Amino acid sequence: MKKFLGNKTAIAIFTLPALLLYTIMVFYPIMQTFFRSLYEWDGLTAGTFIWFDNYKNLFDDSVFYTSLYNGLIFAAIITVTQIGIASILAFVIADGVVKGRRLLRISYFIPVVLSITVVCQLWLSIYNGQYGLMNKLFEILGIHYQQDWLSSSKSAIIAVAFVNAWQYMGYHFALILAGVRSVPEQYMEAARIDGATKLQAIRKIMIPMMAETYKFCLVFAVTGGLNAFANMYIMTGGGPGTSTYTLTYLMYRSAFRVGEFGYGSAAAAMLVIECLLATLIINRLVARERITY
Amino acid sequence: MAWLIKKVRQNNLPVTGFMWLYAILSVYPLIWMIFYSLKNNDEIFVTNPFGFPTHLRFENYSNAWSKYNVPVYFMNSVIVAGATVIGAIVLSVMFSYAAARLQWRLRGIAHTYIMIGMFIPIQVIMIPLAILVRDFHLANTYGALIVPYIAFNLSFTSIVFYGFFRSIPNELEESACIDGASIYRTFFSIMLPIIKPALATMVIFIFLNSWNEFTMAVILITKESLKTLPLGLLFFQGQFTTDWGAMGAAMTIASLPTVLIYMLFSEQVENALTVGSAVKG
Repeated sequence: MKKFLGNKTAIAIFTLPALLLYTIMVFYPIMQTFFRSLYEWDGLTAGTFIWFDNYKNLFDDSVFYTSLYNGLIFAAIITVTQIGIASILAFVIADGVVKGRRLLRISYFIPVVLSITVVCQLWLSIYNGQYGLMNKLFEILGIHYQQDWLSSSKSAIIAVAFVNAWQYMGYHFALILAGVRSVPEQYMEAARIDGATKLQAIRKIMIPMMAETYKFCLVFAVTGGLNAFANMYIMTGGGPGTSTYTLTYLMYRSAFRVGEFGYGSAAAAMLVIECLLATLIINRLVARERITY
Repeated sequence: MAWLIKKVRQNNLPVTGFMWLYAILSVYPLIWMIFYSLKNNDEIFVTNPFGFPTHLRFENYSNAWSKYNVPVYFMNSVIVAGATVIGAIVLSVMFSYAAARLQWRLRGIAHTYIMIGMFIPIQVIMIPLAILVRDFHLANTYGALIVPYIAFNLSFTSIVFYGFFRSIPNELEESACIDGASIYRTFFSIMLPIIKPALATMVIFIFLNSWNEFTMAVILITKESLKTLPLGLLFFQGQFTTDWGAMGAAMTIASLPTVLIYMLFSEQVENALTVGSAVKG
């Protein structure tokens, strides 16, 4: 048996293709990102080693701070709206009182499976200042709040963040609903017998027991927000001006438009550090000990 | 009045109202897209922006299909997503079988090593990846997308399969060994059939992922004839005002496969997309 499961050739055949591809396409590039962030490099020649100059320039670049700030705003908006709304929807659905639950679930989840291009194009037309749906809606309701949502540098990042919040809310809904279902019935039953209201039971028992689920949702939403790129690329192109730049967008711009690959790598390296920090903080704040049941 | 309040409370009217209101907010943009894919510009902008089309203009679909590059984009998406599904499933199922069941010294390390990939956002490695694709002469071939897509799906897929393989009792392999089956035979005829449900889930997961992938595609593909749907649809941005109906039709066509898959396998799709939380958490 030992010989059977310790077959060296078989092990090599089974594991080497995956390990090789992963090493070349995933692991080597992440090392390269850090390594190249110390170079002045145009992507073609060998480049010159300049120590931490790229980082120094980054810290002197006002666009870098705009990008950081936008990443945080984006992350905050999607985290609060997605997890907030998803929690309410999931708790009500799990409660089983509302009729038409299957249809509701499908409705909440469907934007998740759409392509981000389709979603962004749709919302571009909804936000459009001249003939957009949003302004038409305000017109019908008699509210004078019409504006060109994406061309004001203050509202643009918020408008873009809401598109992402709208699209991936359903993902968090599905996660939280699965979390609710995994909490054993008897805990809620016990709370009910002890005279707790539904809201109390959810707040004091359900949510603490779902710490793992919430931790994942938080990490997913926050890092997703910090990494945001496609929404800006399609909807605003970073504009107006640089008002919707994020770190990823800054990286893309520097490397693939301006040709400063080293500078772009430094931006990417900062992004890794930022995401790592966020993950660590969330892990620190939520669920210090794993709850088993 | 008191009776009405009681009635409202019993039916949870505010809660029900909120649930359906959000459902409408969630689905309406999609329905609106399908509506305007069947309208002309005049109806979209002026006469009937919100409602059901007065006259169903199916010619928008034939226009989108024949005038713009939609068939090319669609085929490219099919090829890229199909090849990614096959490649990623084959490689990860083999790897995770060896990592979960076979006995070798470095298997713990190998498993952790692959798992790290789950925490690397693609954005972070885009620059070196673009250089690699160029140096391997993959630029502007299907390989430019397929190879990185497979590599990026490996981590997550392997970890899901790993979990499944670990839950299979040892006796199965023991009896196969005693009956004289080879390790390959055991893998194909005994192990693979057992993890079939996981295979189906991961096929859906990888397909949705690669069908909709945008960030890598936009950086790695510039050639018009290789663009996948998410890239190709960007092209309409320039020509916004000329033919909205056709644009709506193209977007509807692009969304059809994933929406259809979701409608047919809604439970599996939700499982596929949420299975990660169990692993990552």
